[in-house]
Amino acid sequence: MRFVLFVLMTVFTACAVSAQTPGERHIAIDLVAESPTPRAGGEVTLAFASTPQPGWHGYWKNPGDAGVETSATWTLPAGVTAGAIEYPVPHRLLIAGLMNYVYEGPFAQFVRLKLPAGLAAGTVLPIKVKLDYLVCTNEICVPESAELATQLTVGDGAVDPATRARFDGWRRAMPKPLGSPATYAVEGGKFRLAVPYPATSPATDAYFFPLTDGVVDYGKPQTVTRDGDTLVVETVAKAGRPATLDGVLAVGDGQGFRLTAAPGAIAASGGGGGTATTLLIALGGAILGGLLLNIMPCVFPILSLKALSLAKSGGEGAKGEALAYTAGVVLMCLALGGVLLALRAGGMAVGWAFQLTDPRVILVLLLLVTAIAFNLAGLFELSAPGAVNRMAAGGGSGNFWGGAFGTGALAAFVATPCTGPFMGAAMGTALILPWWGALAVFGGLGLGLALPFLALGFVPALRRKLPKPGAWMETFRHILSVPMFLTALALAWVLGKQAGVDGMTLGLAAALLFAAGLWWTGARQAKGRTRAWVPGVLAGLVALGAVAVVTRAPAEAAAKVAGAEPFTESRLAALQAEGKPVFAYFTADWCVTCKVNEKAVIETATVQDALRKGEVAVLVGDWTDGDPALGRFIERHNRAGVPLYLWFPRGSSQPEVLPQVLTQAMVTTRAGG
Amino acid sequence: MILTGLVLAAPAVAQQTTGAPAGNFKLTDMTGKTVSLSDYRGKTVVIEWNNPGCPFVKKHYDSGNMQKTQAAAKAGGAVWLTVNSGAPGKQGHMTGAEAQGFVTSAKAVPTAYLLDPKGVVGKGYGAKTTPHIYIVDPAGKLVYQGGIDDKPTANAADIAGARNHVLAALGEMKAGKPVSMPETRPYGCSVKYAD
Repeated sequence: MRFVLFVLMTVFTACAVSAQTPGERHIAIDLVAESPTPRAGGEVTLAFASTPQPGWHGYWKNPGDAGVETSATWTLPAGVTAGAIEYPVPHRLLIAGLMNYVYEGPFAQFVRLKLPAGLAAGTVLPIKVKLDYLVCTNEICVPESAELATQLTVGDGAVDPATRARFDGWRRAMPKPLGSPATYAVEGGKFRLAVPYPATSPATDAYFFPLTDGVVDYGKPQTVTRDGDTLVVETVAKAGRPATLDGVLAVGDGQGFRLTAAPGAIAASGGGGGTATTLLIALGGAILGGLLLNIMPCVFPILSLKALSLAKSGGEGAKGEALAYTAGVVLMCLALGGVLLALRAGGMAVGWAFQLTDPRVILVLLLLVTAIAFNLAGLFELSAPGAVNRMAAGGGSGNFWGGAFGTGALAAFVATPCTGPFMGAAMGTALILPWWGALAVFGGLGLGLALPFLALGFVPALRRKLPKPGAWMETFRHILSVPMFLTALALAWVLGKQAGVDGMTLGLAAALLFAAGLWWTGARQAKGRTRAWVPGVLAGLVALGAVAVVTRAPAEAAAKVAGAEPFTESRLAALQAEGKPVFAYFTADWCVTCKVNEKAVIETATVQDALRKGEVAVLVGDWTDGDPALGRFIERHNRAGVPLYLWFPRGSSQPEVLPQVLTQAMVTTRAGG
Repeated sequence: MILTGLVLAAPAVAQQTTGAPAGNFKLTDMTGKTVSLSDYRGKTVVIEWNNPGCPFVKKHYDSGNMQKTQAAAKAGGAVWLTVNSGAPGKQGHMTGAEAQGFVTSAKAVPTAYLLDPKGVVGKGYGAKTTPHIYIVDPAGKLVYQGGIDDKPTANAADIAGARNHVLAALGEMKAGKPVSMPETRPYGCSVKYAD
């Protein structure tokens, strides 16, 4: 009986599969040409616009553990040739431990047709293709075929806007060429891939989709770590060691980058060997960095005052003071580090001083630093409201403790803008360590910052070295307000970079209002009025209201070069019509090579001078979001992506394509010519 | 169903290393008999992963290609073990009686048709697709793992021009040569393991 049933069942499923008429396929496929009237000698992009039925999925070029790629058999007029199928960034589908690289929703593959030159306009080109592909649910697979046809007429290559928009939407789903070579290494069954990818670029759900088979065990989880401008993917290796490994790095949001990796050495990352050494080095670096912070303009004033107050107190409770201060510093550093790690875990690309990338935080810091600066300048006194004052006057040690702890936390928070140059390396290491190691590094930073003060608290000899308190202290305090004001100035500049001129003006206005309130408070304090702090606090609250208003200005095309304009083809044409030489360069935030060339060549004074003297117009194309219009222009110059450097000599419409590794001489000699 | 000689991390797909001793296993065949790999020490053993519902398996059974390969292997003195790792409720899962029905109707000639509904042996061998082929030499060493041939399609017309990796490997072993392509990429439907 069972046997009969089984035979019936197989017969039935066989029927179900074979009885499919073309209209009942599990993936509906449309063949669309971007231009129905392509130019002779040109190219036209065809799309297979595919929509799988709910629950069904199609396969990427590398299908993963099972499945097959799509194959196309073309029937084309003489001279017309079809390129390989180009696939969008796929999704992962893990079923019972087996990995499938698939498309679960609508997707479009591209094929480029090349037309021979010399075809007369109006020539009809019938295009036919048979697609063989596999479509599966989580349970069953069906190999399907689709016979598709379209007709092109040789013409002017015009594309109607609606079709253009459709194709541009599909283009955004295609992986972009990364432009910088990656490195892979296999050691002890572990596969590691190092991809040059700027620390400032987001990677929320990074995953490496290998195109070369036999190198990576697809079904095993991948761990991704960011180490400065390198993104490292780690997973289980298979036996393959090809000279080139191709693949796509997906970074979330459907964004992906085509890359090629060659075998090479990759520095050990967290969790691997050498963690202890790495940790010790990072810890040493952090403590040293923290020590250095003591002489930074953001911190030095706060610290000096604290030291002087210690000297004043004549060593009474100095140890307690020092410990409370240290606790404040270390805890604040740990808190900042904890937030940073949490954000990293959440997939945000953040660096140390991450709080400085939000204009609202900058504004709060600006107000705080302004207040500290005016306090140092003697505009008003920082005496806590009445009750605490009386305690302090009575020598209540509670205030000392609280004061020292608060000062420490404040010093650590305000110090972060200054950490950059010293701490970069240690912080980079911290972020590839296991979380406890990273926190230890942050703690080390705090410890370093607190060390001088600890030493003062615990070594009476050092305290005796401190100058005797006296009237000079007041003058010294006033002088110390200068670096604080400079810090405020720097913060205002950062705010301007982030929130534009309006945001900066708003910030300065808020600071002015707050300062006026503090001034009033200071005046009342001088007259010995009660509740002298009211105007200052009120002004501070109103100023804080600006936080709600300040917003990040839209990121403009990176025009760091004096006189550089965003690239558009019309602007290029206009500049050429004026008879100017034009230097057009194309860059993206996720392109390390681009950034290196900009810092080392384009943005240097030498090159800038040469460009100015040669009256060269500079156009910058920012391809960070993969703008298809820019992409097409880049492609027309036989480049798959950025960096691309084009030099249009005076009166020439044909650009010279400069090498991707730029030197200053390349630009200066041309500008001088 | 007792397993010996396989150390398995339950959900993970493990693997067998080509050139190393193949992991031993014990499974119940379609007639209820217990069969273990070590029973055939001294003989070449071909192991084939099977799911009769998979179009890629159908390509090789409906065309008679798999049956021919089985017969040729056995004629050369090899043992052919077909394994079904389909979990209950999934495509291709069969009871002993159903498997006997399939073998009869397809005119298949395996030495034994083994049932692995828990997927323990499948995962221990890292079997990913149906078909997926492994060859163990008389000394118990794994000398081949991969696809049945080099044309990864579901179209039976492609069999004629394909390199049958199994027959090629068996021929090289007969001639006392090492297997020239010890690992190839398997193709087919994914093995329908229990989730």
